[in-house]
Order: sequence, then structure tokens, then C-alpha cells
Amino acid sequence: MPVILILPSSVADQIAAGEVVERPSSVVKELVENAMDAGATVIEISLEDGGRRLIRVSDDGTGINSEEVPRALARHGTSKITKASDLVGVSTFGFRGEALPAIASVSQFEIQSAAADGEGTSTRVLGGQISPAERIARRRGTTVTVSQLFYNMPARLKFLRSARSEWRSAVESLTALALTKPGVRIHLSHDGKNALTLPPVSSIRSRLGAIWGGRYAEDLLDVDDVAGPIHTSGLVQRPADVGTSTRRGFLSINGRAVRDAGIGRAVEAAYRSTIVAGVRPSFFINVTVPADAVDVNVHPSKAEVRFRDRWNVERAVETAVRRSLGTLDSAASLGFRGSSFIFRPDTIPPNPDSEILRPPIDHDSPLFAGGTSAAEIDGAEYATAVSTADVSAPAQPIPPLFQLRHTYIAFEHEDGLVLIDQHSAHERVLYEQFMHTLESGAAPAQRLLLPLTLHLGPAEGEAFDSNREYLERLGFEVEGFGGHTLIVNTVPMPHPRFDAERCLRETLDSLTGDRVAGAAAKHERLAATVACKAAIKAGEELSQAEMRSLFAALRDTTLPAHDVHGRSTIVHLTWDEVERRFGRR
Amino acid sequence: MAASIPAKTTLPVLANILLETTDKGIKLSGTDLDIAVSTEVMADVETAGAVTVPAKKLSEIARELPPAPVKIAAVGEQRVTLDCGRSRFKLLGLPRDEFPTFPSVRFNESWRIRSGDLQQLISHTSFAVSSEESRPILNGVLWELRPDKMRMVATNGHRLAKMEMPINSANAPASDLIVPPKALEQVRRLFPAEEELEIARGDNHIGFRSPFTAVFTRLIEGPYPNYEQVIPKDNDRVAIADKLALASALKRMSVIASDQTHRIRLSFNSGMLKFSVQTPDLGEAQDELPIRYTGDQLDIGFNASYLLEILRYIPTDEVRLTFKAPERAATVEPEGWKDPASYMCLVMPLRLVD
Repeated sequence: MPVILILPSSVADQIAAGEVVERPSSVVKELVENAMDAGATVIEISLEDGGRRLIRVSDDGTGINSEEVPRALARHGTSKITKASDLVGVSTFGFRGEALPAIASVSQFEIQSAAADGEGTSTRVLGGQISPAERIARRRGTTVTVSQLFYNMPARLKFLRSARSEWRSAVESLTALALTKPGVRIHLSHDGKNALTLPPVSSIRSRLGAIWGGRYAEDLLDVDDVAGPIHTSGLVQRPADVGTSTRRGFLSINGRAVRDAGIGRAVEAAYRSTIVAGVRPSFFINVTVPADAVDVNVHPSKAEVRFRDRWNVERAVETAVRRSLGTLDSAASLGFRGSSFIFRPDTIPPNPDSEILRPPIDHDSPLFAGGTSAAEIDGAEYATAVSTADVSAPAQPIPPLFQLRHTYIAFEHEDGLVLIDQHSAHERVLYEQFMHTLESGAAPAQRLLLPLTLHLGPAEGEAFDSNREYLERLGFEVEGFGGHTLIVNTVPMPHPRFDAERCLRETLDSLTGDRVAGAAAKHERLAATVACKAAIKAGEELSQAEMRSLFAALRDTTLPAHDVHGRSTIVHLTWDEVERRFGRR
Repeated sequence: MAASIPAKTTLPVLANILLETTDKGIKLSGTDLDIAVSTEVMADVETAGAVTVPAKKLSEIARELPPAPVKIAAVGEQRVTLDCGRSRFKLLGLPRDEFPTFPSVRFNESWRIRSGDLQQLISHTSFAVSSEESRPILNGVLWELRPDKMRMVATNGHRLAKMEMPINSANAPASDLIVPPKALEQVRRLFPAEEELEIARGDNHIGFRSPFTAVFTRLIEGPYPNYEQVIPKDNDRVAIADKLALASALKRMSVIASDQTHRIRLSFNSGMLKFSVQTPDLGEAQDELPIRYTGDQLDIGFNASYLLEILRYIPTDEVRLTFKAPERAATVEPEGWKDPASYMCLVMPLRLVD
């Protein structure tokens, strides 16, 4: 007897099945994908015992001709591609021709299909053994029933989890698919009970609303951005909401739900400095790339893809998300949002009255009488670096501003009342200035007549040593004086109320015990810390000129709506909400 | 007087003015606990007594009254009536016991200084004080009193102003005081220039008084930093420029200078001062001004607003600037000033990056 044998096809199918069919949820995924590929508008899914006993998927798609059913059940039987070159740019979910035979080989399988109303066939397969087809009458479409999954594979059967956990996994798979095709009606039942009905809708936001509730979907921000051939669209969470509910990540590439850690990281990178470390944002993103720029044929279940140019795709996603976080719309909102509006105009209005946080000028002083400055456009670089591009809004004048409780700046917007937290806002402005300084070289610094002497503890001394170069770039020119005594000769002057000694002390204090590796991370940490310490505090009274210049500077930042700790800088109370509270609606 | 009444206070009586009868008339007093001001007006006193009335309302009423004698009467301590011609007001006051007592300053060892001299000293120095809270000493003006001269110094650590003038007050002890600029401002405004003031020091207070008006203020506790040490003695490069021309060139440059640092670059060349400013994302500007300067070329960066501020107080048409090096202190002084007083400002340069 020869030692090497060719395995019978039923065994080969079972082995292949291991890759495609892992658990009931993979069956649901494969069958629903087939239904979607068949152009179904209604898909009904029933599960029993978490899919362990029964999975049935019915659709009203194109159906299969009676004579072609056996071919559909054969390995590599597919209608989706015909030659190898079709693999490049395949747009259907399936194409390998593996799913049906693989599922059929490990279950009690029945497929009923009709290409037109009336004439149909029913074919049963038991552990891969195909029985002859029977003629039946049915509507156009296909119904696949999978019972007793893995009945013939005890090893697999043992690894199935509880009905509850298999059910959850099946729902997850189905949810992802439902998001890729919001126009398909989906009906899911479990053990005969109706579990989920998703009406056909036109947008992913409405579909999310149907799955997790309208409020959840309402609170998400639109992402829509084109970078070269890469189009990123979808919804992301507001930074203020991140961490308040279950984190959900959904990514589809060219309409195919996939998992991709790299793009997930790119989305998270876009939130950097707007949310606290450790929490992760929810996102529902579809990336459209040219079909030949992505390879989906990496894995039988097609849950992973390969990009020809991964770096560009990740960067496009990060930019798109960051841009949507940069709109005022991303600020925490009270009540319901009206139409979205762009906070930052493309062109910064030359505003002769605005002066960056300069204290009020004595009007009786002759030399300063005309002491206005056009230099508030200092932050323009940030604005152009991430230009909001598409809309060329007319130059926005600065609205009348009011200070409330010496802490908030209020102004009227056409959509409602807007409040700015002065500390958070200034922190954001300074953070971006400092980041710019750290990356571009040294900032001008004021030499001190009476150098500051700081006596540091060992921990602060260490923090100073490890950040010395960057502190110097920010404008703190320091001489060591033996031990941990520092002589500070120059200090930055970000605004006239700046208290250099206190800022440096507090910065070093909060940097103690910091073990941030990498220059970029260090930059961010330092810029955020110094910005926090240098910013005007809550409770400081601001003059009209100071509020206006803060407003102008904030408007020019890339992420005006969030401070560096993930708190909101802007809260928005819509007219709708105001009117509702006054009983006008 | 009204300026010494705090706008907001936790102690209600501080919003009131104390009216007391004296042998000459009525004395009005107000305080915010840091500064206390009192002034006496001539009046015929029928009955001696004291009441407090809301300061704001009293001053509003006084403004609107017709030019006729006013009669103030009080029933008990809290009901005050005010009659003037046909007008009649009734105000609710607070008991005088609640009004804080003024600091005790004894005027037996006092300096005698002409108010106009003091006004000149105050107005030329107090602008330079710091507003940072972390170094409260620098929030005050240092006032050095000697038998034959007095000197005021103020700095925020970036620039310093110092003025000195001879006095003749041999009977008072030498003393160094650190005075809040707000109190000095009251002194500057309340006393007519030609009056001679008596000034005396208590434990933590200083008092200024003329025959009718008195101002008391808390002192800031020292010691003041050793400013003499940072005043450059060896600045060997000297430039003399027209003050107004220099100021207008600086103002032109400020248009383009960064709003945070107001940084401009000055390049001193033989006979010519060149200005330049570059602000990323905004633009740049240059200017030139003929000056009297003969040293080697010197490039130095400054906060233009500091220079402009100092130039406002320079009393002469020409200004004298001295330097040593781009990282050392520069001085600004009046050129050809015929005055018994001497004036000097000092400004620290900005780090130039390039």
C-alpha cells in the first residue's frame, strides 16, 4: 500500500472548511454575503440555538438555475469571476467558490433556489453527499438552510461556545454586513423570535440609528474627504463622547467589511491630543480606493486586505478624520444639532481690532494710540496646513463676545449659543504654537534682567535634564548651577500675562517620572504640559480685545473644538434646544 | 476718593464712605483695606457725629446737586438726610463702628516732599512694575528715600525704569519702601502739584498727607532685588536718535512684528540704524533711521512694545541708547536733559534666532 494518498474530495472539503467555516457566525457571514452578491433587497436570517442547531438565510436575489445548483455546490464553483485576471479589482464579496461546498461538507445542508418566480429546485447535501434535486415551487431567490453544523466533526463541535456567545458573534458579523449595504432590508430572528429588523435606508447614519438607536447615530460626526484616489467617508465619535460607551470599530474597504489594525491606528492617531490616553474612539469608516490598489484575496474569509500603498491610505484616513474633528460641529453639543457649520473660514479676516492677548492699551498714551497690529494672522500656517479646502466661506467677522464667570466666552452663532472655555481654548492655541516651535526650531525668548533661580528636587531635576533641549527651543535658556539649581536666563513670552517661573516649575513638576520615548511623543507631552501651565486660567478677567484675539487664534488652530486633555473647548447650545426649553416648540 | 472704594467686597461697609465731623468741617474717608484715603472739607458743624453712607450713591448725588450749600443730618447712626436747595435725600447708612480704623502712622519723623516732584517720579517709573503674581516684590515700586535725594525703581524683570532727584529732608531717616503702584497712582492724582506733602512710615504702612487730604497704604515686604547689580556700567556703544522718529519707525515695524513677542531686529551701523522684522506666515518689513553712532555694527533684538513704552516717558527730543552686546542689557536715557532729576530705563534684548 502506498504511503502517500490523494485525499478524497469530501475530506479535502472538510479541511478547507476549517478555514472558511469556523463557527456559526462565519456561516451567517458567507451566506449573507452571497445573498448580497445576488442583488437581494430583502434578506431574512433565522438562527436556532445561536446557530448551532439551525441557520437559515433567505433572499430575493437572482437565484440559481436548477441545472447549475450542483455546480454551485462543487468546489471552486462560482459565478463571480471567470479568469485569474478578474481577481484584480473583484467587487463582489465572494469569488473563491469555496463557501457553499465547505459549509455543505460539515453540516446537513439544503439549498432551495429559483431564478424566476414559480420554478425552483431543492437540493439536500449531507456531510458533502449531494442528493438529487427535487423540483419545488418558490419565489425568485435562494434559501439556504444549514442544520447541525459540525455534526460530522466532533473536534470542531467541541470548540463551539455557548449559544449566547455564538449568537452574539453572529449578530456582530451581520451588523458589519448591514453597515456595508444600508439599502438592504434585513430581518433577523432567533429561536423563532424577532430579534432585529433593519429597514432599507440610504445612509450609514440611518442604519446605525436603526441598530443602536437614533441618539447614538446623531452624536457621530461625518467624515468625508478625498485625498487623491482615496475617498474616506463615514462617521466617527465626538472626542467628548469617547470612552462613554462601548467602543465599536467598523471599517470597510471598497464596501467590504474588513479588520485592519493599521487603519484603526490611523483613526486613533487623528484623535491624538483631543482625548485622554487609553480610551479608543468608535468609528464607522468606509475607504474607497482604486480596485487595483488593494488585494482582498489574502485569506479565505477575506477579513483582511493588503494595500499596495498602505502608508498613503493610513495618512488619508488620519487626515480625513482629523479634518472632521476640526469642525465646530465636533464640539460637545447640548440638545440636537442643526446643520453642520464650519467654524474656520478659509481666509482669515484681517481684523484691525484684534490683538493676541495684549493687555488693554491706555487710550491716553500718545505713542500707542494707533497701536493695533495685523499680526494676529500668526497662526495662519496651521490653518493652511490643514486647510478646510472645499468650502470657500466668506470672511467671518468676529461676533460680539461676552465673558461669563470670568471663565467662558459666549457668542451668538446662527445655529445657537456657543460657549468657549477660555483656559481650554488658550491651551489649544498655545499647544499648536509650541508644537510648531518645537518642530521648526527655536522661538524668540525674552532675556531676563534678574535671572530666575529655581531649586529643584531630584525628580524635577531629572525631568529638566531629559527635556532640556526642547525647553531651550521653547525659550527657556537655562544654566545649570551645580546640583539641581537652575539659573533661567531667557523665557518665552507667549502672552503678557505669562508667568514664566510658575510655568516652568509646574511643567517640570508634571513631567517628573515621565518615561516617554521618542522625540515626537516628547514634543507632544512637553507642548501639552507647557501649554496647560502657560494658558490663561479660568477666573481671569479678559478684556474685549483679549477675547477677540483668543477667538481669532482659536479659529486658526487645526482642532479648535478640543483642548489637549480631550475636553471640549466649545459647547454649543442650539436654538432648537433653547426654544424647546422656553416652550416655544 | 471714590477710586479707593472697592468695586466688589465681602465687607459691606467698605462700599460706604465715612463722614465725620472735625473742628474744621467734615472728613470723608474710604478704604479697600489696602489703601485708605481721607479728605477734609470746610463746613459749619452744628452737632458732632459720624455716619457712613453708600459711596457710589453719595458721589452720584453730589454730581447732580445744584450749586447750593448742602446740609447733612443724621437721625441715629443709620438714617442720613441730605438737603440742598429744594432737593432732599434720605440714605440708609451703616454704623460707624463697622468702619475699619485707619492704619496708625505717626508723622513726627516725616519727609517733606513737593507733590509735583513725587508726581514726576511716579509717572516715570510705575509703568514698569510687574503684574506677575509669582514675584510680588516686583509688583511694587521701590522708593529709596535719603536725606538729600530720593529714587524710584520699577521692573518686571524684562525692563526697568529708574528716576532720581535731589530733595531736602534732612530730619527724616533713610528708608527703602516698596509701594503698590495703585497707591502711588492715588497719591499722584489727589494732591495738587504745588502742595508740600508730609510722608511718614508706620510698621507696614506709609502715609502721605497735606493739610486736607491723607492717603495711607500697605507696603510690600522686601527685600527688593539688587537692581544696581544689573544696571550695566560698561556699555561702550552709544547711539543718539531722534525720539519721535525712532518711535514712529518702531510703530511701523510693530505692524508686522509677532503679536506674542513683538520682536524686531535693530542693526546699529555707523550713522544709520536699520530695522527689520520677519514674521513667519505674515511677512517682513525694513526701515532705516539716521542716528549718531560710531561703533562697530551691532545686531540686537527687542520687544518693540517695551521700547515704545519707554520712549513715551523720555522727556527730551533726543534719546540716548547704550549697548554692550546682543545678549546684554541696553539702556535708554534722555539726551541733553536739563533737570535736577536723572532718568534711566533699561531693557533686556530678545534672543535672536537665525
